[in-house]
Amino acid sequence: MNVEITFENTLNGNTLELNQEIFTLPSGESFMVKKFKYYISNVILTDSETNTQYVETDSYHLMGQDFNSAIELGMIPSANYDQITFSIGVDEVANSRTDQTGDLDPNNDMAWNWNSGYKFVILEGEFIHQSTQERTGLVFHIGNNQNYATVTLPLSGLAAGKSASISLETAIDELFSNPNSLVPSNLASTTVMGGPVADQIGQNYADGFIKAN
Amino acid sequence: MQSLIRYAAWMIASALLFSCSESEPPIDQGPTPISLDKPDYFSDQQVMPSDNPLTEEGVRLGRMLFYEKKLSQDGTISCSSCHQQEKGFSDGLQFSPGVNGTLGSMNAMALSNLHWQTRFFWNGRAVSLEEQALIPIEDPKEMNLPMKEAISRLQGDVNYPGLFQAAFGSDQVTSENIGKALAQFERTLISANSKFDKWIRGEVELSPEEELGLELFFTHPEPSIQLRGGNCGDCHLGFMTSGDPNGFAGFHNNGLDSDKSLKSGLESVTENPFDKGKFKAPSLRNIALTAPYMHDGRFSSLEEVLDHYNEHIQNSETLDVLILEASNEILDPAEPIRLYLSAEEKQAIIAFLHTLTDEEFVSNPKFSNPFN
Repeated sequence: MNVEITFENTLNGNTLELNQEIFTLPSGESFMVKKFKYYISNVILTDSETNTQYVETDSYHLMGQDFNSAIELGMIPSANYDQITFSIGVDEVANSRTDQTGDLDPNNDMAWNWNSGYKFVILEGEFIHQSTQERTGLVFHIGNNQNYATVTLPLSGLAAGKSASISLETAIDELFSNPNSLVPSNLASTTVMGGPVADQIGQNYADGFIKAN
Repeated sequence: MQSLIRYAAWMIASALLFSCSESEPPIDQGPTPISLDKPDYFSDQQVMPSDNPLTEEGVRLGRMLFYEKKLSQDGTISCSSCHQQEKGFSDGLQFSPGVNGTLGSMNAMALSNLHWQTRFFWNGRAVSLEEQALIPIEDPKEMNLPMKEAISRLQGDVNYPGLFQAAFGSDQVTSENIGKALAQFERTLISANSKFDKWIRGEVELSPEEELGLELFFTHPEPSIQLRGGNCGDCHLGFMTSGDPNGFAGFHNNGLDSDKSLKSGLESVTENPFDKGKFKAPSLRNIALTAPYMHDGRFSSLEEVLDHYNEHIQNSETLDVLILEASNEILDPAEPIRLYLSAEEKQAIIAFLHTLTDEEFVSNPKFSNPFN
C-alpha cells in the first residue's frame, strides 16, 4: 500500500504563512514567522492488533514551511496500521556525525558546524517587545541529544491494501507553552540555541507539538 | 571535537574516492561525457540538467566562448574581462566597464562552485547558468551584442561551427547552445583545494587564530550562554560558504541601507515588497582575492566588511532576522544593532577568510585563456 505523511503547520489555530501574517503567541504577543524547519526521523507504523510494524530505514526528513511538507513512504507492506511513531530531531548516532547526505547534508542550514551535530527545530521570527515597543528578532535553534523527542500518535482510517495519506499538524504555540510558558519579551536572550531555555522548548515540543489531524 | 577527528578520518578515507573526471572515449562519434571533479563533501543532491550533460567537447567550447572577445560589440571584451581567473574570476573593480566604457551598476560576482548554486545574479533573476550566461552578451552595459549578431559571428568563424558540431551534434550555432557551452565550462570551475579544504580533509592544521576565526564564522552568538559568534555561517552555509540553494532562501537584507535608501534587489524579481533590499549571499571562496565587496562593491577591504557587520548595521523593514537578532552582548531592544566582536575576533575571522583562497584554482591551466 502506498502511504504518505503530510504536515500542516499552524499557529494560534491558523495555517502558517511566512513573512506575511501576524500571529498571536500564547503570551499574547504578536509574532511574524520568518523561518520554520524541523527534523522528523525514525518513522514507524504499527498495526497493534497483529503486532505488525513498518520501520522506515534511513529515516531522516527535513520538513519546513515553504520547504517540504510531505514524507513519501511509498509502497509499504499492507496492514491495518493504527499507530504512528516518529521522533522530532535526529538520533544520537546520526547527530554525532556530519559525513551524511540527503536531508542530513551538513551543507544545509541545519548543521551547527562540523563538531556539534544538528539543529532539530528552527523557528525564527519577529515580535514587538512589550517594554520598548521595538521590533525584535526571536531565534530558536534547538538541538542537542536531550531534546530528541519520540512521539506516538493513534491513526484512524488506514486499511490494509489502500493508499493512505496521514495528515499531521504542528502547532507552533506548543513551543511556547505546556509545560513551560515562554514570554519572548521576558527572555534574557531572544536567541535561544542551547542552555536551559532551549531544553524547556525541547520539553514543550515533546508533547502536543505534533498531532494527528 | 571527537566527532571532528572522526570526520577528518572519514575524509581521508574518502579522498581516495574522489570522483574521476574522464571516462573511456565512446565508440560512436558523440561528445565524451565527463563528470565534475568534486570532493565528496560537496553535495550530491544537485543534479546536472538533463538537457545539458557535461562533455569534454562542451567544456572545451565553453572555455573558448568565455574568453571570446567577438562576443562583445566592438571586440574588446569577453566574459573573462570582468571574471579574471587570478582574481577568483572577479575583476577588482567596484563596477565593471562594458563596451565603450559604460559602467555597470553591480559588482561583478566571483565565480566558483556554481553547480551548487540555483539562482544567479545579485537579484536572482536567472534560474540557471545556461540562462545567466547569455544575458551579459546582450546587456547594453556589458558586451552589448545582439544575439543574432553573436550567432552570425560564430557561424562565420572558421573554427566554431566544427566545435559546436563536436559538442552538440550540429554545426548550426544557436543561442541555446552558446548558453549550454558556457554553463558547462562554468560548472567545471570548482574551487576545492584551499587551506580550508585541506583542513576538512585532515591534511593540514589551521593556526590558532584561523581556528578561532572558523569557530566564530560558523557560530550565531548566544550571549546568555556565553557563546561567542561572528554570525557569518547563518547565510554563508557549510563547506560551500554560499547561500541556501532552496528557492530564494539564500537572499538576504544584510543591513547595508536603511529603509530610505534600500534598493529593490530580489523584489525586482519576485515583486514581493518583503524581498526589498535582499541580495544573493555569495560564496566566500577566494574572498581575499575578490575585493571590493557587496552587491555594489562599496567596501574595499575585508576589514570594512567586518566593521559593517559588527557596528554599522542599518535597520530596515526587511533586515534579516538573524542579523537583527545577533549580538555577543545582551542588548536592550532599543539599542542599535551591534555584534560586539573584539578587534582580535574580527581579525581572526579575516584570517579564516584567507584560508578560503585556493591558489591552485586561480592558476589552474584548465581554466585559463585558451587563446594565449
